Amino acid sequence: MHHVPTHVTAIFTVMLVAMILCLALEEKIHAKKSVIVGVFAVVALFLAAFFALVHPETVAILGHPVRLPVYIPGVDWEVIAIILGSSIFVDVTSKSGLFTWMAIKLTKLSGGDPLRLLIFYGVMTVVFSAVLNNVTAMIIVGTLSGVSLGKLGRMDKLLGFLLIEGLLTNVGGLLTLISSVPNIIVGNAAGISFVTFFITASPYVVVATAATIGLGVRLFDIRPLADDAARVEARGLVAGLDENDGIESRGFFWFGTAMTGFFIAAMASASVMPYIKELGLGYVALAFAAIMLTRYKSTADRFYQAIDWDLLAFFGGLFIVINMMEHALVLELIGDLLKPILALGEVTGPAALMVASAVASSVTDNIPLAAMLAKILGGMNLPPDSPFWWAVIFGANLGGNITPIGSASTLVAVTIIHKYKLSLSFADFVKAAIPFALIQLVLAALYVLFLL
Amino acid sequence: MTKLDQFESTFRAAAKETYTRTPLKIDRVLVATDLEPVDAARLTEAARRFLVAIDRPETVWEPLAGSAFDSVQALLEQVEAHKPDLIVTYRHLHSNAWHWPYSLGEHLDVLTQATATPILVLPHPDAGRGLPHSVQDTNVVMAITDHLVGDARLVDAALGFTAAGGTCWLSHVERAADFERYIDVISKIPMIDTETAAETINAQLLKEPHDYIRSCRAAIEAAGLNVSIEEIVVMGRRIEEYTRLIEAHEVDLLVMHAKDEDQLAMHGLAYPLAVELRQIPLLML
Repeated sequence: MHHVPTHVTAIFTVMLVAMILCLALEEKIHAKKSVIVGVFAVVALFLAAFFALVHPETVAILGHPVRLPVYIPGVDWEVIAIILGSSIFVDVTSKSGLFTWMAIKLTKLSGGDPLRLLIFYGVMTVVFSAVLNNVTAMIIVGTLSGVSLGKLGRMDKLLGFLLIEGLLTNVGGLLTLISSVPNIIVGNAAGISFVTFFITASPYVVVATAATIGLGVRLFDIRPLADDAARVEARGLVAGLDENDGIESRGFFWFGTAMTGFFIAAMASASVMPYIKELGLGYVALAFAAIMLTRYKSTADRFYQAIDWDLLAFFGGLFIVINMMEHALVLELIGDLLKPILALGEVTGPAALMVASAVASSVTDNIPLAAMLAKILGGMNLPPDSPFWWAVIFGANLGGNITPIGSASTLVAVTIIHKYKLSLSFADFVKAAIPFALIQLVLAALYVLFLL
Repeated sequence: MTKLDQFESTFRAAAKETYTRTPLKIDRVLVATDLEPVDAARLTEAARRFLVAIDRPETVWEPLAGSAFDSVQALLEQVEAHKPDLIVTYRHLHSNAWHWPYSLGEHLDVLTQATATPILVLPHPDAGRGLPHSVQDTNVVMAITDHLVGDARLVDAALGFTAAGGTCWLSHVERAADFERYIDVISKIPMIDTETAAETINAQLLKEPHDYIRSCRAAIEAAGLNVSIEEIVVMGRRIEEYTRLIEAHEVDLLVMHAKDEDQLAMHGLAYPLAVELRQIPLLML
């Protein structure tokens, strides 16, 4: 442990608080996350060099000494690789028409009945959030909800549908290790495998999904169709949806379907597969992205343009800031502040940490929180099955359901709501979402405390 | 293009209009002429033979001789009194203007807009402009429009007038001039790729009527109708295109809309077609 003067730690602590505040006020200051965090990363690096907290490292790579700039080792490249590879894979696979085919097929299967439609869309949101990512899942299910409810003449139910779907994205985001960024960061830091993560989280996701849909049905008065005439009419209306319209090539459709299956299987088995386990999940994601890109080999650059560079640059900057905070002993300071919580024991401690994580995630980005807590808990040498890891995972994901700015997917839900000229203020969202978030958090607390 | 817009477009494109058939039912036909009663009755019989597809034993055919009305107002009163489901007539009633192919005549002009009843316009009995196959049968019927998607009424009418075993052409001619105008504007907007826009807009404009016709085929097959459906979905200059198509396919009856909810005058496409296409009968809805 190196010595850092108290005033230096204080300066860096103020910087961290300022960065979190700026991220929370992202919309107000009209700046992208990557720019906000990038500026703080640049200043943090300069101050770290000024106070002599960091020094360039020379490391041996394949026997060759390589001098690494201080900002390189601080970045968790595995996380960056997973996000980059998964997003390209999902983007290219979506061009096969697979996800829209599934979405429309389910709509037709519902027969246009609002209650069945909500159940199908709810389950689809959870599955898509788990397999793709929260934002893409919300975009697919949300836009389909607008189109199908418009066709059925049920636009009065759109607000309820979109809110429930938005809230379910964060539940579905708990299903697998790669479903959300906090899962990837915390899961990686804790050493939780893909399969262990799925087995641990899935019972909760099933119960929370059922509870969310059940509450949504009651609060938004979603009822089944009253009689046979209404059912026949609704069935006729959804029959006009053509699930094959988005499929450009049957061959690519089946290729995309098979590759999605292989992708999930490879992610699940990566930790036990020879050679692959050495390369990690990031390699698996990038490899599948490369295979899918062969379909568009001459126009692959189109997909590079579609990559969320803001998100990736944000991660890069964030990891650097967190790394500098570690050098400035800010994380140690926060760890000391968390000690009373952790000292509450295996029952109250995780519950308190989950609530604190959820509240913090509801007003600011859950990724810095997850990255910071992962680093702090990682420094405490907790075992992978410690409930504290799960408290952070559940809290960081579900906290996004308390406010519209709590997660990117709820923000997408609100964007679609406003696109359809439906009135929903910040306060309206909180008022509508609080019962759902409370139920989800109480269920999560009970699950983490008594069943894990 | 945002991902949100991308998926919304995909789902909007997938949400297609589908055709649901409502069988045509015509109980009363009024044949309005400017002829003597004997000639009016003869024309009525000829019309009945021509329109065998809609003729049922209980269908009432009522000839209206020229002496029954001497003004547009009187003709409208006759229509009101008979309450027909179809009016059969021709251009330039009580007028010699049929010599000049520049208008429809005051009676037909008003009739098409003042009544909700479909009007079947025959070639003028004295003009001799009909094609050799005109007014013989309705084996080949063509519905024409620039917006076929969702127009079940037009399809119902075209199908209803097609003789058993005949062919019903569903045609959609997209106005090339409008399309070119928009592409010209797009070509001046730097952030829109002109070539991609021209290709994709053209493809989507023609795909929608094509998909609708496919749903018409499915509905007709399900109903077990003995009519074959053919499609024409093209971009073109409409009058020229329809004239060419009518000659190429030996069309016996042309079906189109005459009314426009936004204006008192006849539907933009219908008037020039009704004036110029004098060789074959037209059904104006």
